Amino acid sequence: MWKTILRRILIMIPEIIILSIIVFLLAKAMPGDPFTGSINPRAGVAQIHHLMEVNGLYDPWYQQYWNWVVHLFHGNLGESYQYNEPVTRIIGQRAVNTLWLSLFTVVLTYLIALPMGIYAGRHEGKLPDTVIRFYTYVTYCIPFFVILVLGIWIFGYVLGWFPTTGSVSPTANGTFATIGSRFYHMLLPGILGALFGTVNIVQYLRSEVVDAKSSDYVRTARAKGVPINDIYRHHIFRNSLLPIAAFAGYSITGLLNGAIFTESVFSYPGMGLLFVNSISYRDYTVITALVLLFGILNIFGTLLSDIILSIVDPRIRIE
Amino acid sequence: MSKSKKITLSAMAVLSAVALAAHPVSAKSTSGTVSFPSAYKNTSAASKSANNKSTLKVAEPNDSPFEGISDPVLASNAEDADVFAPGGLDTLFFNDKNYKIVNGGLANLKLDRKAKTATITIRKNAKWSNGMAVTAKDVEYAYEVIANPNTTSQQYSSDFATIEGMTAYHAGKAKTISGFTYPDGQNGKQVVIHFTKMSPSMKYAGNSFIWDSVEPYEYIKNVSIAKLASSSQVRKNPIFTGAYKLDKVVEGESTTWSPNKYYFGKKAKIKHIVISVVSSSNVDKAIQSKKYDFTSPNGVMHGTDYKELKNLKDYSVIGLPELGYDYFGFNVGHYDTKTQKNVMDKNSKMANRSLRQAMMYALNLDAVEKKFGYGVSWRANTLLPPVFSKYYNKSAKGYPLNIKKANELLDKAGYKKKGKWRVRPNGKPLTIYFGAMQGTSAQQAEYQDYLQQWHKIGLNVKLATGKEMEMNSFYDTLEKPKQSKIDVYAAAWSLSSEPTPTQIYGEDAPYNMGHFVSKENTKLMNEMNGSKAWTESYRVKVFKKWQAYMNKEAAYAPGSFSYTWAPVNHRVKGYNVSPSNNEFWSNLSLTSSKIK
Repeated sequence: MWKTILRRILIMIPEIIILSIIVFLLAKAMPGDPFTGSINPRAGVAQIHHLMEVNGLYDPWYQQYWNWVVHLFHGNLGESYQYNEPVTRIIGQRAVNTLWLSLFTVVLTYLIALPMGIYAGRHEGKLPDTVIRFYTYVTYCIPFFVILVLGIWIFGYVLGWFPTTGSVSPTANGTFATIGSRFYHMLLPGILGALFGTVNIVQYLRSEVVDAKSSDYVRTARAKGVPINDIYRHHIFRNSLLPIAAFAGYSITGLLNGAIFTESVFSYPGMGLLFVNSISYRDYTVITALVLLFGILNIFGTLLSDIILSIVDPRIRIE
Repeated sequence: MSKSKKITLSAMAVLSAVALAAHPVSAKSTSGTVSFPSAYKNTSAASKSANNKSTLKVAEPNDSPFEGISDPVLASNAEDADVFAPGGLDTLFFNDKNYKIVNGGLANLKLDRKAKTATITIRKNAKWSNGMAVTAKDVEYAYEVIANPNTTSQQYSSDFATIEGMTAYHAGKAKTISGFTYPDGQNGKQVVIHFTKMSPSMKYAGNSFIWDSVEPYEYIKNVSIAKLASSSQVRKNPIFTGAYKLDKVVEGESTTWSPNKYYFGKKAKIKHIVISVVSSSNVDKAIQSKKYDFTSPNGVMHGTDYKELKNLKDYSVIGLPELGYDYFGFNVGHYDTKTQKNVMDKNSKMANRSLRQAMMYALNLDAVEKKFGYGVSWRANTLLPPVFSKYYNKSAKGYPLNIKKANELLDKAGYKKKGKWRVRPNGKPLTIYFGAMQGTSAQQAEYQDYLQQWHKIGLNVKLATGKEMEMNSFYDTLEKPKQSKIDVYAAAWSLSSEPTPTQIYGEDAPYNMGHFVSKENTKLMNEMNGSKAWTESYRVKVFKKWQAYMNKEAAYAPGSFSYTWAPVNHRVKGYNVSPSNNEFWSNLSLTSSKIK
């Protein structure tokens, strides 16, 4: 097992190098540069050229790439052109916001979806199953953006139960109040995200449970006289988790991806908006850093998923 | 607002906003039906307890977190200017309603044409919000930061080269700028700037010769200029010269303010202000549920928001014509990189004036603005917005719909119909490519309407690249010295509060992206800031003449004007966005402790 993991990690090195070159080249291949369109009728074009030169943006790509890699090994991802700040700092800030919000959403999603999936599977074809399936389809059909705007309107503005903007109240002072305020600000986007993000888990789990119900080992257990609830808890649940476990790795590393719509509607500074904005701004340093980060996380996600799978299902353990 | 925005909203800021939501345009149809007041007159008395205990809540409508650069010298976007506005943006001068610099601000300005100097005298009680005195060095340091070879500032204007010693400093050949002298020492209150050339535009706020904000030299001198924008002195604990001091900034989200006891002017009345970013997707809902007193006076509010908010109880819409305009540009030449000058090409596709005029007459901009402007934007009649009340050429006709005239113009110029489409006078087929930036569905509809109108007069106009272009590709194409992908395009300019258009339409202006050059144009532009133009009435005359001339040539043609507007709650007193209200924030007070 450990050998496999080590081998996988070694393979990652060339993967990451190739990824970094592709990322770097694609970023540069986009039309424009960090200063295109930042036209200011008062300040001259000469200053823009000057800034391009100072930032080495006129150098050939391999030189720019090399400089970037050298800096990378010094833990320096460069300065953002848009924010005029070190990239590591910006990403650091946004990552914290995003991490907490995604973690909250994901935990909530599983808490809601797992019981629903099992319940629907267990009562296949009956009313609860129909209701749950209907619910997942409906939530799947409505664009999430609409849900967010509707949610913020009803619960934020009309009822006034939740804050409507930012990740923390501007007036929150002290550690405790700040943490409380942060949690309060995550509630509405988190709950909406969880309520409307259940479809995959519910559907996979449901169909697995339905399959498992009629399988031999369940029949045997039933014949032995094992109580039905125990069968569901110990036998069916564990086996049905397989496909979900396959996603778990991605879920964990995906925590940092951010949610563009949520961040935009709730004015929540997170990774999703940072990524989109950096692309439209041609903020190369931020784009390359983020894509590289997402890429590495994805590679790790695959590995993690495999490890989790092997824990859940000893049959596929690789030696 | 008094603080004529120093940061002319860069095109980037404007355009990215456009891409995300409806057109940031604005009020009043040509018949002049809608016109916003620039002040809200609240007749109730201000309440002391409300001022002391309640919080003034301001919404900054934006789809992404603000960048957090509090220093106007380094910031390059409008959001930062908005959320740090109560600090006064460290503005040096007060100005009147025509943006002319007047006495009474942090400093006074005196121009000496003979000696070619500008003398800036700081008032005696001028202090930073941490109690430090504002010094002569603070005035000069702004130029050092802007012109430093390692700066991140985008504000260096080519006109700064007229300051003695500036070129040497900018190139890194001199440690200081020799054109600055201090009659009573660097820590004194007077700075004299020595120019090689004087311009009448220097009399106006936002001109490109004299920078109009100060930098707290003592406070930031230990930070290298290259690292200034990321320093805590700029990000976390900035100091200001305005009516309010910053209490707290939550990065990208909000700023919190309280009165600055060291402010030289009228003392702030409201004890607590919070400015928060609110997504433009729901800012209308936020106002409807009375979460905010007003939206940032310079914030981007859309026509669709206006539709939702215009009749809202307890709120009034207050606004000012935008410092900017939408326009059409025609590609009539190229930029000679050797001589650094624009050159008109007589044989270029769009070189024929009648063709350009006809294309403008074919457009039904009145109807388009009426439908998609929701009352906050209207057809522009000239290339200078009405916010410059003195210079704006009210009587210019612009290009109202006139299909008949358009056809006549084309017929006369020899663009004969051959089958479905007109051909060039030399008989060759004519296909015109229209460059348009990606935007909202409303904008898409506008573009389609333009194409339809052009087809009506027999011109085969197609979208350049076959679809709307992403903003970066659009400007990347236009900024090329020579290009043939785009023949006509729709874009927008935001302006500084000094309206000289040389940087965008001048012969050597790289932003003259249609490359229109003529002797008359150059002459008029020179006259705008020539020696006669020190007499204001003459200058006004030249500006009006220039507007009429540009309309006639139609190399750049007016598209639309709009209002910069905000809904203001009726508990707010003293809200006034007139350019002459130099103390916007300290003039505000509250008449009730709850938002009405």
